[in-house]
Amino acid sequence: MSGEEGVKFPLSEAFSFSLESIKRRFGRALITMLSIILGIAFLTFLLTTGRIVSVLYGEGSGVAVQFYQLWMAVIALLICSVGIVNSMLMSVTERYKEIGTMKCLGAMNTHVLEIFLIEALLLGLIGGAIGAVAGWTIATVWQAFTQASSVNIFMVSASLWTEFNINNPLLLLANPLVNIALSVIIALLAALAPAYIAAKLSPTEALRYEV
Amino acid sequence: MALRYEYAVETEDLAKYYVMGPVTVRALDGVSVKIRRSEYLSIMGPSGSGKTTFFNMVGGLDRPTRGKVFIDEVDIASLDAYELAWLRAKKIGYIFQTFNLIPVLTALENVMLPMVFTGVEREERLRRAREMLTRVGLGERLDHKPGELSGGQQQRVAIARALVNDPVIVLADEPTGNLDLHTGLEIINLLKTLNTEKKVTIINATHDLKMIDVSDRIFWLRDGKIERIETRAEVAVKEVE
Repeated sequence: MSGEEGVKFPLSEAFSFSLESIKRRFGRALITMLSIILGIAFLTFLLTTGRIVSVLYGEGSGVAVQFYQLWMAVIALLICSVGIVNSMLMSVTERYKEIGTMKCLGAMNTHVLEIFLIEALLLGLIGGAIGAVAGWTIATVWQAFTQASSVNIFMVSASLWTEFNINNPLLLLANPLVNIALSVIIALLAALAPAYIAAKLSPTEALRYEV
Repeated sequence: MALRYEYAVETEDLAKYYVMGPVTVRALDGVSVKIRRSEYLSIMGPSGSGKTTFFNMVGGLDRPTRGKVFIDEVDIASLDAYELAWLRAKKIGYIFQTFNLIPVLTALENVMLPMVFTGVEREERLRRAREMLTRVGLGERLDHKPGELSGGQQQRVAIARALVNDPVIVLADEPTGNLDLHTGLEIINLLKTLNTEKKVTIINATHDLKMIDVSDRIFWLRDGKIERIETRAEVAVKEVE
């Protein structure tokens, strides 16, 4: 035996495996991504609109309005999480058999986990980016054409991208970049539970699993 | 210098019980066998006799309730997760009834996959996978996905995948179960040829009687116990009678 004993699965291999998996199952990945895109687009749309309106009509619209907006954001976030969790769950469970096979070929639990988390990260990032840009664009264009105001709405909206105010959750959430980060975090969290369960299955259990 | 043990696989009082509510199913109930290197072995028995359970225990895919499995004289229960993964990657090749290829990967990539885990360089992976696929007669279909291949071809890819890391043993669970008579025979002959060529131990769990003709020994399993062990000659004599 050589001294090279021990299974290997470098991160670069895991990354290219995940990327190939997304590319070749593009239809499936698109469906998963679509729920992320819609969720994040909805969230960003709501928050961007909220920000534009409060800039137009003054920040002093009162505590009640602020509170109401925050509530809307929380609900939007919730809806978007449910969608992402659901599609992540599906995309992991339909590949149990593949996981079983990988484990027979020498994959360890951590390798399986790695593959799925990298996939979730990529889906969350791409889906989040598309969703955030789409939501922001729609909100901005809509407001620009419906609001009769002397304020340049495009300028207001564009400034949201650079707004990092940790003290004001509404302001912070209105930044599309923060929404993209949220998308990645939610996708990772959503994939973590099913991927962990799948990774811990014995190869026989995983192979027996029929969807 | 690499040591060559006489036995590739040894089991000692191997048992697996499944508790299903009030009943305990004794899928495997005290099996002690020794399987020599480069032997071609068939485990026969009706469905539910424990063939697949035996396959899973010997392959380190599931833990036994009682007893031990030695592969190359190493008790596999003593291995940690890391060593067990190495065992599966390097020392054992698996062949399944349902082929179990990764659907999104091409034939070539499927065969390359086990070598990723054993840390073979990319160039070498490509070379060996090509060579192995050509050996099983699929040199022309390297870039086809499993969905574009027939059952027999898929099983050939699986055989190439099982053998590409030069394992000590190849475990096959009903390798001809999903194939027609003719294709099944081709697969059996291919396994036998590779067994002779590469001196690899092949263990089949099967109820395909065509297997008898090429097997060195046959273990007859019934209700989780070894009913009898016969050599090919003994079976042949019985058939004549």
